[in-house]
Amino acid sequence: MIEAERLAKAYKIYGSGRGRGWGEAIRGVFARPYEVKEAVKGVSFRIRPGELVGFIGPNGAGKSTTIKMLSGVLTPTSGKVRVNGCIPSEDRRRNGLQIGVVFGQRSQLFWDLPMEETFLLHRRMYRIPSDQFRRNVDFMVELLEMEGFYRTPVRQLSLGQKMRANLAAALLHDPAVLYLDEPTIGLDVVAKAKIRRFLRELNEEKRTTVILTTHDMDDIDEVCERLMLIDRGTMIHDGPLAEFKRRYSEGPEDAADLERIIGTIYSRS
Amino acid sequence: MRSLPLYWRFISISVRAKTEYRTAFALTFLARGIVWSTEFALIWVLLYTFKSIAGWTAYEVMFLYALQLTTYSLAAFFCFHPFTKLSYKIQSGEFDELLTKPMNPLLYLMCREFSASYAANVTFGIAFLSVCIYRLELTLGVSDVLFLLAVLAGGALIQASAFMYGAIPSFWMVRNTSIMEMLMSDFRSFIRYPISIYPSSVQVILTLLIPFAFINFYPAHYFLGRVDSHLFHPVLAYMTPLVGVVLFGGALLLWRAGVRRYHSTGS
Repeated sequence: MIEAERLAKAYKIYGSGRGRGWGEAIRGVFARPYEVKEAVKGVSFRIRPGELVGFIGPNGAGKSTTIKMLSGVLTPTSGKVRVNGCIPSEDRRRNGLQIGVVFGQRSQLFWDLPMEETFLLHRRMYRIPSDQFRRNVDFMVELLEMEGFYRTPVRQLSLGQKMRANLAAALLHDPAVLYLDEPTIGLDVVAKAKIRRFLRELNEEKRTTVILTTHDMDDIDEVCERLMLIDRGTMIHDGPLAEFKRRYSEGPEDAADLERIIGTIYSRS
Repeated sequence: MRSLPLYWRFISISVRAKTEYRTAFALTFLARGIVWSTEFALIWVLLYTFKSIAGWTAYEVMFLYALQLTTYSLAAFFCFHPFTKLSYKIQSGEFDELLTKPMNPLLYLMCREFSASYAANVTFGIAFLSVCIYRLELTLGVSDVLFLLAVLAGGALIQASAFMYGAIPSFWMVRNTSIMEMLMSDFRSFIRYPISIYPSSVQVILTLLIPFAFINFYPAHYFLGRVDSHLFHPVLAYMTPLVGVVLFGGALLLWRAGVRRYHSTGS
């Protein structure tokens, strides 16, 4: 499904090394000094269809950069990535049809209208046959418990309701892969629980591959089977969640506390 | 054109989103009507006093104004919000969303941010245009009407290009793009009057560098049957559609370079 091979991304960061004085400033206009920051330093992995993968790491570790390369937003500096046989950043249109994306709290819904309008637009954009569309809308509305606010203008929805509506909008075309960048950020306990339960059920029902980044270890515990831990652009761990706990915990009761284990690893790095 | 229903849906969504606030929509319409009519009236008052500007009568100058307003509004439908919001979208990373859709990012942006409220401007623009044609007693044959439509389309492409050249540099310069936008909108105000009233350096700029004169001044020569511009060749009166297509083509190339740049550097 997803194959990444020594995937790397380096950014040029301009302006940081600029000194004082006019000479420096004028020179800076023509040849701006820059540093190269390697955000992701050659990570390799394979993800099979239907896997639930949690992607974690401290702030600035390269999580978002990696997920942007997988979803076709960014072109890798070096290395290769293939999703269902296509190169996301080169074949963006084809890739767009087979993925669903929800990045943080950025909404793709039309603010002044009910979510239904965005859904109908997606039906055209993704060319979803009408019976499949109706089935999926029913499926999403029921599973995400959206009957109560399906026809309410999006601007009147709570954060949790909006997140659920965004998830639904990203899934109407039955994408093979769903990328979620911090899907539970800012939500209350109940809203978080609803989204986690939904992701599991979605995966069971449709075998959708889910890749999510998060800072909430309960997301990982309750949704993911596989854990990838990235730090300073390097993959530190990649394997089943259970194995991760066994390897890094200091005893059987400690194994339950993922938060603490991860905290220890982050602070060591 | 299998995508036609898609664009139609984008537009109908935008219209419905606007009419959600019916009073606000009506007020916008009214407010813009007052603003444009006032400007239109100002030109008339000015010319009523002075009779003419550089040999152009009141309704001839208003004809220039109506061409500028109509083409601007046609372009603004698809370009105002997309390109005035572009630098914000790039800075905030909202631009990411465009690259994950199974659609051309530019088309997606233009449709997504389509602004139905410019219907007011287009309505007034066309109304002013009709008034001028009536008062100037212009008799337009079929070919004249077709050429007028081509001039409006070409002018709209020039206006759209101005939006684009103003905003697309945000892909490279994260902050200081308002300079470009200012430049574009300031130069637009030059073409309210026949450009023959300006020093020839300004005329050259408005013809070759920022060719806004093709929006109204040159094509007006054709419709008004004027031959008074000795500065340049008379063929310029027919060039608007071509200038529009060439400028817009360049804007598309610049856009593509910008997206490629975003692609490889991120936000």
